[in-house]
Amino acid sequence: MTANIARGSLPSTARKPWGRFSSLSPSWFFALPALLVYAAVVLYPSLAGMVYAFTDWSGLGEDKSFVGLANLTAMFHDEQAMGSIGNTLLLTVTIVAVQNGVGLLLALGVHVKLRSRAVLRVVFFAPVVVSPVMVAFLWKYIYNPDPSAGLNGVLGTHIDWLGDPSLALWSIAGTVVWQYAGYSMVIFLAGLEGIPPELHEAAMIDGAGTWQRFRYVTWPLLAPSLTINLMLSTIGGLKLFDQVFAATNGGPGYATETLSTVLYKQAFVFGKFGYSTAIALVLALFVAAVSMIQLYYLRNREVAQ
Amino acid sequence: MTDLREARMSRAQFFRMMGGLAAAAAATAACSTKPQTTTAQGQPAATELKFVGVADQKAPMDELIAAYKQAKPGVSLTTTFAPPDQVQTSVRTQLGAGNAPDLHVVYPGNGSAMSMSQIAKAGLLADLSDQAWTQTIPSGFKPAFQQEGKTYLYSAGSSVIGAVYNTKAFQKAGIDAPPTTWTEFLAVCDKLKKAGITPIALGAQTPWVTQLITYALVPSTVYAKDPTFDDKQLAGQTSFAQSGWRQAMEMYLELQKRGFFNDNPNGTTFEQQISMVATGKAGMAIQVSAVLPDFRKAATSPADLSMFPVPGADSADQVWIPAGVVVGLGASAKGKNLAEAKAFIDFLGKQESINRWAKAISAIPLTQDSGSTIDPAVQSFLPFTKDRAVPFMDQRWPNAEVQPVHFAVIQELLAGKSKIDDALKKMDEAYAK
Repeated sequence: MTANIARGSLPSTARKPWGRFSSLSPSWFFALPALLVYAAVVLYPSLAGMVYAFTDWSGLGEDKSFVGLANLTAMFHDEQAMGSIGNTLLLTVTIVAVQNGVGLLLALGVHVKLRSRAVLRVVFFAPVVVSPVMVAFLWKYIYNPDPSAGLNGVLGTHIDWLGDPSLALWSIAGTVVWQYAGYSMVIFLAGLEGIPPELHEAAMIDGAGTWQRFRYVTWPLLAPSLTINLMLSTIGGLKLFDQVFAATNGGPGYATETLSTVLYKQAFVFGKFGYSTAIALVLALFVAAVSMIQLYYLRNREVAQ
Repeated sequence: MTDLREARMSRAQFFRMMGGLAAAAAATAACSTKPQTTTAQGQPAATELKFVGVADQKAPMDELIAAYKQAKPGVSLTTTFAPPDQVQTSVRTQLGAGNAPDLHVVYPGNGSAMSMSQIAKAGLLADLSDQAWTQTIPSGFKPAFQQEGKTYLYSAGSSVIGAVYNTKAFQKAGIDAPPTTWTEFLAVCDKLKKAGITPIALGAQTPWVTQLITYALVPSTVYAKDPTFDDKQLAGQTSFAQSGWRQAMEMYLELQKRGFFNDNPNGTTFEQQISMVATGKAGMAIQVSAVLPDFRKAATSPADLSMFPVPGADSADQVWIPAGVVVGLGASAKGKNLAEAKAFIDFLGKQESINRWAKAISAIPLTQDSGSTIDPAVQSFLPFTKDRAVPFMDQRWPNAEVQPVHFAVIQELLAGKSKIDDALKKMDEAYAK
């Protein structure tokens, strides 16, 4: 039963044997229009776009020639692109850890029977619905280096949040966590709501304390929520663009450049669409690989419960 | 009741469903591309031209479009304005996809992804050479407008880079006249600092602001000594590292070392820079004259703001200034309404339109007549414009990479994370790409 509850929030049809669909039952007809549209607007353009990764296209006109793997080898010799991979990974690890940690604490907090919990849930979730670009602009004001303004004014500090190259990346991670902790909270909360109260009651009768009930009842049953949260935040972190673009545009210097901002600049600022597509291809493959590995391990963990 | 899962769909039903879907899709597509041929009054209308521009162009364009409407009621223009980065992204994508707006922003010369040379090279800008105004482009400005002798850009004039200063703050610090040599400039900064005023507001978090101080100094440290520097650099005979660029960067950092900038310039934005000068918290900001209206808007009394050329040399006659053609526009060579788009540019090329555009952005009109006005704040630059002015440096750079590298290395220098040697080396590498 435990496993069923734990698995309940994820569709499990993908694991069914293919044989069932081989006889072209009506369910295929139902899926076909969607598949056709998906192929036409997602698969075909993506695959057609990939071709540009092996050209020197400037983004203007028809003028392009095939350069083989030159773009990919150039990428591994490009100091800026390589540096941005380090930044991207640092940001991702920080965001995944902190956002989900904070999200879990918030979820546990608003799950208890408080009178104000409905209001608190809305308050914590509110930043999620704001556009990330707007959040970044907002935080630019909060991160004002003036000691009498914004965050410095509140803390009584004199810190150059976004202008100090050794701090800027962490400041951006801060805005992302601020915005999306509520998102993780909602997913954890859904997981918490799905845990039958009888299990807690039974554990309490057995003499389990708060920590033990969390460790042996809540935590294992939150596994599916954790899987989703870790995957979403990892993917979000790896392709982080808006917040960086609006807050620092990759600066100061190259201190906050991520793979996404580098590929944006290569295409739209430098006019190197071919090279940019090659970076995008690498990013896409990397995100896919990380997600698959993550999914494999986390799903195994769920099954093991 | 039949069980839904057991229900078989006949082939005919299936095809009818697909057909319906296709018809719906076709109808949607037809609606979205259908040109508007009648106005609300049912009169035959209106060629509709689309223009996408940068935010700086809104004031003059709004004014001139209203005037054009009077002159030619049959043509209407819809406009979109956005900050340069966003415009660059969307217009370049549209150009690449072959659905560019009829008229769009174009940067003068070369050196940026939306510059005249880069787009004209791809054959995407309409040739304007048959319009009368193109015959009067001053010869010094031709490289900004023309590619292989053909004109592809319209621009209303030029703007200068200098110090936008708060006259009240200068008075408070006991400064009677703007400086005319580098030594005097440092002395002025010193006086401001002693009076408790930040001498120079620097909003280096906004990338393009980082370049302005180097741009203000390089005419004196490079071009005053060798006016043909650009040609030599293109020919590979000289480089950033071997030229007065080094001196300009040393002077830039000297200002920082002496504490003449606000704290944390890398965390300060262009908007904060404006407000510091407009409120008199800072004495001046090195800026391009085109944003002077923004400073005035932020000030309680706009008359307190004026400009002077930044003296980058120690003898006043060796001081040169940067004066560049302001951001302009071009017509898409593949536009459906090319003739009407060109007609609008021809209207913009009339002396009266040039005057109005230039006035709206405090620029020096491209050509002048008795109706031309020059903003009193830029009057002090006029003696230089004849033979001691050079276009903004990036307009002659061979690719779009040098400028962003310049932004980044300045931020690194200001943060103390890099040395001038490394900075110049990175710029030379980008130039050679």
